[in-house]
Amino acid sequence: MDTVMSITAYGDGCEKAVNMADREINRLDRLLSIEKSSSEVLLLNKEKQLELSNDTLKLVSRAREVSIITEGAFDITTEPLTRAWGFYSELDNRVPSEQEIQDALRSVGFQHINISGNKVTLDESTSIDLGGIAKGYASAKAADILKKNGVTSALISLGGNVRTVGKKPDGSFWTVGIADPNDSSKQIGMVSVSDSAVVTSGGYQRFFEEKGHIYHHIINQKTGYPADSGLKSVTVISSDDTLADALSTALFVMGLDKSSELYSKNSELFSAVLVTEDNNIYITENLKNSFSSERNFEVIFD
Amino acid sequence: MKNRGWIIVFASALIICAVWWLCITAFSSPAKTVGIYQNGELIEKIDLTTVTGEREIELSGEYGRNIVYISNGSIKMKSADCPDKICVKHGELESSGSPIVCLPNKVIIKFEDASEKIDAKAGAAG
Repeated sequence: MDTVMSITAYGDGCEKAVNMADREINRLDRLLSIEKSSSEVLLLNKEKQLELSNDTLKLVSRAREVSIITEGAFDITTEPLTRAWGFYSELDNRVPSEQEIQDALRSVGFQHINISGNKVTLDESTSIDLGGIAKGYASAKAADILKKNGVTSALISLGGNVRTVGKKPDGSFWTVGIADPNDSSKQIGMVSVSDSAVVTSGGYQRFFEEKGHIYHHIINQKTGYPADSGLKSVTVISSDDTLADALSTALFVMGLDKSSELYSKNSELFSAVLVTEDNNIYITENLKNSFSSERNFEVIFD
Repeated sequence: MKNRGWIIVFASALIICAVWWLCITAFSSPAKTVGIYQNGELIEKIDLTTVTGEREIELSGEYGRNIVYISNGSIKMKSADCPDKICVKHGELESSGSPIVCLPNKVIIKFEDASEKIDAKAGAAG
């Protein structure tokens, strides 16, 4: 996705730090993007067996962890499904046949990935896509670089993924708005955060329409169809960017009830704001003091 | 070429860097002030309320020309040589809305006071 990156940083030596962070994000893009010829992911998908560099290996391992705790709702092996639905290019958008979906489903799931040391092996028709997790990883690495180089306060935005470093220069919390899934130029509310990532996944971000049906890009790896869990968008707030990125997708697939269950077991790991199909807003209890909205919302207790 | 999956193609990077005291001026810039950026650099900061009559600003980039048009306190991209013309279709810049972005020519037009209430927005790319 062509997207805008912005980094705003305050502190001594911030110019050098911002340049370094910018370079690191671009390096990771070249390494992890499924469409860059230089990408390790692309090479792994082609060769099916590869010694991965530390960054890529870390992400694949991390993806497996999130896949386990979300019972597969987050899955990096949905690449054949995403491809069948034509979500890699707007021009390819289409509804695949039931047979195509069933065929693609056979190569989906973490059981088709074998990790041994640095070597990762994929089953023959399995391919991976780190898209649901790479931006989070990139913003975490960028934030680390900024901090190590004297930046005390910064805001990073990678195409709608937001990461804050420290507090604002005046000592107050950063205020991050959450896009309204019905009109992303508006917002449903805002969160006050410091040193956190704020990541939103929603069907509204990428979709196509065919014969009066809307098909969005977040595929349920169990059914092979766009997730239909009753949610319009999920925003996850966490000090762990990679986790926030992956969980925003996972919770969107899981729906309100299963997301609430996951939260009750992991309330120290993340906070979330969920918007349902009928436009109700739910926030997790640990967000009670930092979320504000002009609209009514309900609280999910752990 | 748009929406090619999750991939991070940083076609345009907007990078701002400031020392501590500078932020105070940044956070208190007057209403209706718009910044025009190209290749991440500020080209011009304009207070729309001070523009009388009409004004056009021409920018050139890799994909040809962009013409920015200001009148009656509003700003829009009047024409562009880029293939998709998303920036032209965007219409007038609204204070509650997203910035006008021309990715091919790396142009961004945004309100400098958009951070009045929020510092950033999650979920809406671009």
